[in-house]
Amino acid sequence: MTLKNVMKSRLSCLLIALLPWCAFAQEGRLYVNDKKAPDSRKDLDAIQKSLISVLPKARAATVCIEISEGSGSGVIVSPDGLILTAAHVATGVKKKVTIVLEDGTKLKAETLGVVADTDAAMIKITEKGTYPFIDIDRAESARLGDWVFALGHSGGFDKERGSVVRLGRLVRMANSTFQSDCTLIGGDSGGPLFDLSGKLIGIHSRVGQQLQSNMHVPMSEFIKNWESLEKAEFVGEGPFAKKPEKGTGFLGLATEARKEGGLRVTKVGSKSPSETAGIKEGDVLLKLNETALEKREQLQDLLKEMAAGDEVKLDLLHDGKPQTLTLNLGER
Amino acid sequence: MNANLILSVFSALLVLPSAGQQSLESNFRTTGATVVAAFESQRQVLQTSSAVMLNGRKEIGYGVVVSADGYVLTKASEIAEVKALSVTVDQRNYPQAKVLLVDSVWDVALLKVEASGLVPVVYAPTSAVPQGSWVVANGATTRTNRRALAGIISAKIREIPAAGGAALGVTLNPKSKLLEIDGVNEKSGAKEAGLQKGDVILTIEGRKVGKIEEIGEILKDRKEGSTVKVTYRRNKEEKTVDVRLAARSELFTDQMTRNDQMSGKFSTRRSGFPRVMQHDILGSSDVEGGPLLDLEGHCVGMNIARANRAENYAIPVEDLKEIAARMMKQAAGN
Repeated sequence: MTLKNVMKSRLSCLLIALLPWCAFAQEGRLYVNDKKAPDSRKDLDAIQKSLISVLPKARAATVCIEISEGSGSGVIVSPDGLILTAAHVATGVKKKVTIVLEDGTKLKAETLGVVADTDAAMIKITEKGTYPFIDIDRAESARLGDWVFALGHSGGFDKERGSVVRLGRLVRMANSTFQSDCTLIGGDSGGPLFDLSGKLIGIHSRVGQQLQSNMHVPMSEFIKNWESLEKAEFVGEGPFAKKPEKGTGFLGLATEARKEGGLRVTKVGSKSPSETAGIKEGDVLLKLNETALEKREQLQDLLKEMAAGDEVKLDLLHDGKPQTLTLNLGER
Repeated sequence: MNANLILSVFSALLVLPSAGQQSLESNFRTTGATVVAAFESQRQVLQTSSAVMLNGRKEIGYGVVVSADGYVLTKASEIAEVKALSVTVDQRNYPQAKVLLVDSVWDVALLKVEASGLVPVVYAPTSAVPQGSWVVANGATTRTNRRALAGIISAKIREIPAAGGAALGVTLNPKSKLLEIDGVNEKSGAKEAGLQKGDVILTIEGRKVGKIEEIGEILKDRKEGSTVKVTYRRNKEEKTVDVRLAARSELFTDQMTRNDQMSGKFSTRRSGFPRVMQHDILGSSDVEGGPLLDLEGHCVGMNIARANRAENYAIPVEDLKEIAARMMKQAAGN
């Protein structure tokens, strides 16, 4: 063996030994993360101290998201009310949802973009205000074995209880999924996963059969698709959200053309979007999204180009009086 | 609360390792042996001051040692139907464990084993520890050694109302104009009190009832586990009995929610507690009844229910102390 070779092997040893030091030097990173496991009271105290100190801010930014299909969780990431959540919570783009803050305050919001194949989505609070928010880990600094904590409105919003915090470790990391042993349950979907410096590293997505199988969408998936999310685009083909298909939406009424223009409503389907919006038999539809209606086929053609969940604006005569209302198309 | 809660359950296939994945060895996971080893000093407290409840050779739960002369508290509903109950403390098994009293509001039973020189738990000064604080409880056990599992305090201290409301446990005959009992639930207080099909309910707590809504009104703010006086008529004879109230949804459990389905085994009695603290220790429903320790090894509470996959309840130390003192005093007086 030559000296040179010996030198080489020593050098590689050094490099390996140095690696944890590089990680250690990372700003805000807790030293316990770079140990295989905590092995002293000091280590346990360090984890506890970090968690307790960052928890109030993390909790204030964690929200419950109520949509017609159920309830999930989310987290505010900007002072003007941008929220990150899961695609299967948002279910689609430009949908009206209600946000519930930790103190029970309810706010109007609208879904922006979704990434349907990795379960990422963005929502915007539409009421003006300054909201509590948290910072995103933009540097992809999360490492296997890191101590992390999950927040979420498990089982739905409960003011007496508040959102539920769970501590665990990152136990598996793949390109588009983090797995932790923070136990998640229904209602947690879309909620935040934090590192111990209080930075957002993931969004809760799904669970497996075992208690330790809790899956999260990493921040990289959000950062990669940030522009599309902000522009309310539908990215990917599923399985976490279904792309709206043209021609799937319906109003739930039957009409006939009126001589003097407009379409007279001859029937309103029970529990249809039209009935919910208050449309009655005998009302006259004048315009749909600013297009004057004269023939039944015209209405059908307009609807064919739209999808379930789409918002439509109707100008009509209700009890003979002009009225304008907006409603969302139902799903066939 | 919304009926549809969102969280997808995916098949195990999706979580199998594939190329490009990194995976943490199970020893280093939160419940892994190496991590648990950091809680050795708290485990030693569990070794001497927690009790193992055994049905024959099967472990069915844990208990809190509350006196040197053998008083132990445990979760009452978990041992209710056990014929051959024995208790292990540290390495010794006590085959003749007697259930002296049951507090059905808290679902706590007081047991006595023939022992002296046991090491009772040391109570923590308060249950008001910040969320995120470590807590340690019984995980599993061998015949001689307790195992610890750790988690954190994960929500606010609060009451857990009886799920679905407090109920007598009877169904009424819809064809009758009277409050005539049609069926009596097997696990109910009505069954224990001897109510039968055909009995007609006349008064509850001295108040006349003629409609089902009136029963609901009287029971509305009652606690699960408390009793109400029910006067009923059977064969022209009137009788008054005490009926224990239970949570409606725990009596009539024909449907599991999606969250129940993804939770594995949960406690049968998991609601109707006057005050609980909540933690996230991973475990099955077989680990209830034991002490909840802080890092000092002091008892901050007693595990009373695994509500679901993500939520566990414990009786806070202030209430636990009161329950222990009251029950021991009552047992000594009997």
